[in-house]
Amino acid sequence: MKTSFLSAAALLAFGATSASAHITLENQEAPVASTYKAVFRVGHGCEGKPTIKIRVQIPEGVIAVKPQPKTGWTVEKVKGKYAKSYDYYGTPTNEGVKEIVWSGGSLADDEYDEFVLRAYLTGDLKADSVLYFPVVQECPDGAAERWIEIPAAGKVADDYETPAPGVKLLPKK
Amino acid sequence: MSAMTRAAKRLLLAALVIVGCLLQTQAAFAHASLIGVEPADGSVVASAPASFTLSFSEPTSPLSLKLIGPDGVATSLDRFALRDQTLDIVAPAGLGNGTYVLSWRVISEDGHPVGGSSVFSIGAPSATAPSTIAEPVDAPVRAAIWAAKLGTYVGLFLGVGGVFFLGWIGGATPTVRRLCGAFLVVGLGAVPLSIGLQGLDALDLPLSAIAQPLAWTTGYGTSLGRLAILALAALLLALTGLFAGGWLARWLSLPALLLVGAALASSGHASAAQPQWSMRPAVFLHAVGIAFWAGALIPLAAAFAASSSDAVATLRRFSGAVPFAVLPLVAAGLLLAFVQLGTIDALWTTAYGIVFLVKLALLAPLFLLAAINRFALTEPVAAGDPRAIRHLRRSVLAEIVLVVAIFAVAAAWRFTPPPRALAEAAAAPVSIHIHTEPAMADLTLTPGRAGPVQASIVIMTGDFGPLDAKGVTLVLSNPTAGIEPIRREAKKPGDGTWRIDDLTLPIPGRWTARIDILVSDFELVKLEDTIEIRP
Repeated sequence: MKTSFLSAAALLAFGATSASAHITLENQEAPVASTYKAVFRVGHGCEGKPTIKIRVQIPEGVIAVKPQPKTGWTVEKVKGKYAKSYDYYGTPTNEGVKEIVWSGGSLADDEYDEFVLRAYLTGDLKADSVLYFPVVQECPDGAAERWIEIPAAGKVADDYETPAPGVKLLPKK
Repeated sequence: MSAMTRAAKRLLLAALVIVGCLLQTQAAFAHASLIGVEPADGSVVASAPASFTLSFSEPTSPLSLKLIGPDGVATSLDRFALRDQTLDIVAPAGLGNGTYVLSWRVISEDGHPVGGSSVFSIGAPSATAPSTIAEPVDAPVRAAIWAAKLGTYVGLFLGVGGVFFLGWIGGATPTVRRLCGAFLVVGLGAVPLSIGLQGLDALDLPLSAIAQPLAWTTGYGTSLGRLAILALAALLLALTGLFAGGWLARWLSLPALLLVGAALASSGHASAAQPQWSMRPAVFLHAVGIAFWAGALIPLAAAFAASSSDAVATLRRFSGAVPFAVLPLVAAGLLLAFVQLGTIDALWTTAYGIVFLVKLALLAPLFLLAAINRFALTEPVAAGDPRAIRHLRRSVLAEIVLVVAIFAVAAAWRFTPPPRALAEAAAAPVSIHIHTEPAMADLTLTPGRAGPVQASIVIMTGDFGPLDAKGVTLVLSNPTAGIEPIRREAKKPGDGTWRIDDLTLPIPGRWTARIDILVSDFELVKLEDTIEIRP
């Protein structure tokens, strides 16, 4: 009885936010030390409002980031220093793109679109873990959805209301 | 003669200074109630805590702090520090796993001890938890406290008031003087005794422990100690005056009467109420008025019983003076009742209100008799009508009985916190502190009960640094009651806190509070804990 109460409450809690649908990655698995094509799938705006900006934070260990240009949108590459130097096919790399911003367009709440970038997942990343790309989805009038929750140890993305999209890392091929 | 008059005047001046000082005491507070305890009541903590924390609605001082272990053995906790309204207690070292009861007893400014206990477990609850110490009602101690209070009233009102009457109005006969002396002696016995009894109540000791010096020092340390000193001064001045007689009786009884007011204004529920600038003077006027009126009854009754020659003259002087005592007495009494009761239904829904109704039921015939005496009988008695004299004598005797009954009822207020204090306790905020590595937060809900509340949140980094967040959201839920999360974004009023005003908690009980702190665009910290909402 108590359990059903709890699950009912959970349904209410998560049901409310899942109406705005998670931003997810199309390819949910990728080996480390390889190039990964990240396709961010955006199925909804912010509570009915159109999406006018998508910001993707590049996690540590992900280098050589190249966004795919998108008609009607301006791409901005925010660069900065990495926490450490990474090996990119023999070239030490210690700075690069840390955030990608697509702006200027407008994606209606009842339309679907994809935002694509290509990046190198360095061998320093731990296989058998999940790599998260926090995303902020901005809409007019200051509305925003923040897909930035990174599950704590022992939890999964489904335990959260607004989880960051993630990709499961596989061992090096 | 002139030297003696100067001495008497100095005495009067000193008494007035004492009264003045007392009226300026601003640091008085109401009945304290517990608003928070760490570890929380009913909680299970992973490891033995290094300290316990008790937070009260008012500043308090501890009387008895005990920790009852899983084996039922009580340990006295004597290492503690007071921080304003919070009491930090150092936990004994080497606490094993199991269920503990933290039992506490504190005293607040109104001089009334309050106690309670909180149960928590280390590791996991014991199979058999130590029994919670309910606040026991020690009937003999309570009865003795009540009797001492009644004795104090008799000494101060009938004794000191009587001596004042003899000094200023008249009616001094050997019988009356002996009676007044007896009342003063009752007071002189009851007042010190009330100190020891207060100590017993404060320490939760039985009547048999009255000989322990600790009971007396503890009792003296409460605000009742102040009352006792002033009351004893009043009683001794009056007694000296009674023995000295003549003009000295006159000039000693005036400061004694003022000291009665000062004594009662120095302690108790009524004096502890806010606003202090009006409550303490109100109690003072109320007490002085009672002493004047009640003190007159026995000399008047005796004067007419003995058909003394100056009985009529005495009655005339009393009739002329009594409005000046009774009007402030009634006005102050109404003000005090208004402040203490707060609402009309408190009259029948609280123990305090019921005591008030009983007192009112006794006051009504008292005022009726007083009015008959004053307006219907005084003139015929002055004219020498024997029937009127007989009526007056009976009426005054009935007044004496009623007055003593009123004292007995009023003494019962010692055990009933006024609705005002109860309401203040219910309105006290509740707060929780959530500390994690990335951030910490203090959440305060005001008032800490179901209904419309205001939330205030203070956030800091995990190492007590400033945390300039982009946004703070409070999510309150009560899964066991099937209440879905109530989500409110906090606003920054500019005082360093985050505030939410449009919040209503529909039911009391244990709520889950989550504070979402948006540290940066991509970083969200969630802090979660439970918070207890009072009905």
